[in-house]
Amino acid sequence: MFRKLLIANRGEVAVRIAKAAHDAGIATVGVVSSADLGAPWTEVMDETVCIGGPSPKESYLRMDAVVQAAVQTGCAALHPGWGFLAENARFAALCEQNGVTFVGPRPATMDRMGLKWPAKVAMRAAGLDLTPGSDGLLNDVEEAVAVAESTGYPVILKADAGGGGRGMRICRSEADVREAFPSARAEAIAAFGNGALFLESYVTGGRHIEVQVIGDGVGGAVHLYERECSIQRNHQKLIEESPSPALTAEQREELGARAANAAASIAYAGAGTIEFLADPDSGRLSFMEMNTRLQVEHPVTELVTGVDIVREQLRIAAGGALGFTQDGVALEGHAIECRINAEDPSDGFRPTPGTITTFDVPHDRGPGRVRVDSHVTAGETVPPYYDSLIAKIITHAASRDEAIETMVRTLEGARIEGVATTIPLHLAVLASDEFRSGEYDTKSIPGWPT
Amino acid sequence: MAHVPLSPIGRPRDAFLDEASFGRYREAMAERTGTLEQRRDEIAAGWGDKYVQRVHQKGKRTARERIEALRDEGTPLREVGTFVNHGVSFGKLKSPAAGVVTAFCQVAGRWTMVIANDNTVASGSWWPQTPEKIERAQEMALRLRIPVVYLVDCSGLFLPEQSRSFPGRTGAGHIFKKNSELSAHGVPQIAGVFGDCIAGGGYMPIISDRVVMTEQAYMVIAGAALIKGAKSQHLSSLDIGGPEVHVHQSGCADARVPDDDAALALIRREVEKLSTPAVDFYRHDADGADPFFPAFELDGLFPPDHRMTYEVEEVLARLVDRSLFWEVLPDRGKEMVVGVGRVNGLYMGFVANRQGLIEDPDGRDGKKPSGILYREGIAKVSAFSRACNDDGIPIVWLQDISGFDIGVDAERQGLLGYGSSLIYTNSTNDVPMFTVLLRKASGAGYYAMAGLPYEPVVQLSTPMTRQSVMEGRTLAIAAFNTKLDDDFEIVTEDPDERAEIEKGMAETEARIEGDMDPYKAASQMDTDEIVEPSELRAWLETLAEAAYQSSGSRRIKNPRIWSLHDLAALTEVRG
Repeated sequence: MFRKLLIANRGEVAVRIAKAAHDAGIATVGVVSSADLGAPWTEVMDETVCIGGPSPKESYLRMDAVVQAAVQTGCAALHPGWGFLAENARFAALCEQNGVTFVGPRPATMDRMGLKWPAKVAMRAAGLDLTPGSDGLLNDVEEAVAVAESTGYPVILKADAGGGGRGMRICRSEADVREAFPSARAEAIAAFGNGALFLESYVTGGRHIEVQVIGDGVGGAVHLYERECSIQRNHQKLIEESPSPALTAEQREELGARAANAAASIAYAGAGTIEFLADPDSGRLSFMEMNTRLQVEHPVTELVTGVDIVREQLRIAAGGALGFTQDGVALEGHAIECRINAEDPSDGFRPTPGTITTFDVPHDRGPGRVRVDSHVTAGETVPPYYDSLIAKIITHAASRDEAIETMVRTLEGARIEGVATTIPLHLAVLASDEFRSGEYDTKSIPGWPT
Repeated sequence: MAHVPLSPIGRPRDAFLDEASFGRYREAMAERTGTLEQRRDEIAAGWGDKYVQRVHQKGKRTARERIEALRDEGTPLREVGTFVNHGVSFGKLKSPAAGVVTAFCQVAGRWTMVIANDNTVASGSWWPQTPEKIERAQEMALRLRIPVVYLVDCSGLFLPEQSRSFPGRTGAGHIFKKNSELSAHGVPQIAGVFGDCIAGGGYMPIISDRVVMTEQAYMVIAGAALIKGAKSQHLSSLDIGGPEVHVHQSGCADARVPDDDAALALIRREVEKLSTPAVDFYRHDADGADPFFPAFELDGLFPPDHRMTYEVEEVLARLVDRSLFWEVLPDRGKEMVVGVGRVNGLYMGFVANRQGLIEDPDGRDGKKPSGILYREGIAKVSAFSRACNDDGIPIVWLQDISGFDIGVDAERQGLLGYGSSLIYTNSTNDVPMFTVLLRKASGAGYYAMAGLPYEPVVQLSTPMTRQSVMEGRTLAIAAFNTKLDDDFEIVTEDPDERAEIEKGMAETEARIEGDMDPYKAASQMDTDEIVEPSELRAWLETLAEAAYQSSGSRRIKNPRIWSLHDLAALTEVRG
């Protein structure tokens, strides 16, 4: 195992990774921006290196500075956490090039899963269903129209290369397709030098269900069952739970096995998440994308399976085998996570940076147990430059009802003062009939008027 | 430091070149690349449909169809010498591609050099420069130790022009010497014989390790036309030298097959038997990856006016994997950039000219122009070239150079000597070198940076390449030197004489400008191929793979023991 690990992230995830490293006897080096320098959470690190100014561009996104810090402090490996450089294949390659093991999949895997069509092709070949649409890249507008007719409107045209919505068009009729096709192609050529387009059915609503997988990098992979992440606001997940109330036990086993098989087929290394969209009408699960990193919501999986995912990431990065087999993974009880953001839900979710005067979350209120993943302590200032997540509260109990009950009591007993938080939103959702029944989707937030 | 410390290079295009300029540059380049593509298409058509049909009527495939059938699906074909004889007429006849297609072609996962007589151009006969083109392709294969596949369908020399293709040092017979050298160096050669192979065409396949003949093929020292009594005995060339004779009686061929397709399938099977490419091994557990900043942007980075500058780092960023690069000796000889990057996972050394002004404490306003070579830059390039050669890192020379520094100081510093040292280095290197003439390739700079006279394995030009001993204006000044003053102004006051000198200088300048046409250079084999800037990265991928394909054929040190590290360690800035 590595002796020293650089944690290329901040806040909650940095603390989470440091904990796993300490448990494994690995020394930690944190990199911090000048805004985070001296913050109480940085004390969990054995060393810290300040790599630049407050904005992520000046610090956490500076790949050469981060790698230089790792090299100069003698780190054998680097954990990117999530966000920032976590899915940057160029950064991963830069680490490897400088002798620092990147805790994550191979850069080529990140490339492949980061491109839309290659990812879909790989996952389809591995037996996953895709959203109905074109069978590959489109040759011309006539083919696009024909595919759209057979799929049914609305459809979405997407550029194979690049991202950021460029070359992307939602079409509700044949006329739309005819108008959008040349302009989407031209836009993609201008932006990426590659005008290849494909087309898919445009699904609104539905459920977001994702499977946690871990691969050993040489063709072995296991799954840790699924997470239900359909409570979202502007594609930002708010509440996650495992297992998903939408799947039967049989569907659950089948989905997990297919996801593990898909990960194995690309010789996936480390922890990853395969995201599926459940069609609102048919319930059919289509592959959406694969996230090649640790997810924010990984604790719910850890609580129901008992696997320390970060520990497994480190073990595999150090050339080790998987610590367990699929048979050794059992699902126990139910876990729910609420993301507590420093945002004011009664004021359009405006970020509320400032000083936290009180931070007290009870651990003893439920029938179930409570885990709090946070980097925050009373007296700390939330800087305005970063993600507003200040804590994740996760409850685990024998049943879903008990997990919800534990969460409600914990949130009601929590005292976080000095900044507004999303706790009122969570309480409203948890009290809603839709959430209680498990019948909800990504379209709206149950119990919360839009 | 045994790691190869690549670091990020380049910026997003809009951070250094605004949309309008990029669009303008790209448009200007599109005009040139449009011409390039059109000329490629014309050449690929050979003598046209009539001749294609004639080949088909015989139940045969054209040279280009044969290559298509041979090539791995979805892999690129990299033709070299496309423009040989371009614009040249022999009587009323033209010889597109000099009647032979030579190309890097992937067969069964291995890069091969395919040499295919174009049977749609005078039955694949050899024109002036055809032997030289074939020999050049053989030379590339020899230097890279990649297998050669001959698709022979050649009725011999184009006789009306025999005096220009038969007797000289590189005359047709030299092809067979090259066959022999390839064999002597253990480079596998496989020949398919598809039709009339008379005289030279008959010799060409024989030295190959495997020779396969179709039922329509014959190989003869002389065809029936020259055999006394052939007519009365109803002897055809096929009777004299067909597969019946050569496969079964003479042993000059190994296998007979019914037709073209069967021959090509057999050749593929033979290539499959060769040793597995070492390319992936030499990636040292990395994977190939595209440049982070896209290569297509290379078509819009160069200002159309060759006197205007650009940032060569941005060019490099669009050639190397993930836009990661290790610049070696960054603090010395700043007119040059030298360093290492990966191309499709394989390490390649790069030598490139900076453009515009660089810092120089002794220069005017602390600056001096780059795009030329000074003492330190020459020394740096020479040391880098030697180190790459020692380490087995193939070198890519990216030329955009006007020449050497000149003047009193330059001579005192001994630039002749430093230049000669560099020339010696490049002349004695045996690592594969690839030269790209991005734009200017002038004077001694062209030589010093491994221009064609220094025998790089391949030299590529772009549609904006300007190859010459000096720019037209400079050459006019040199030619009319006696008529000019210190500031190169015309001395005489006599209006008539003045007009005459002005006219003479303008004509000289115009002639040199015409000579700098890359198609002219390619036609007379002063460069191997013309490619679009945005195609360069893909070309380098092919060349890198070809250079790393054959393990055991040349020195390839692992990066731990690179002497390049020594060079870098000794020149690291202290403190």
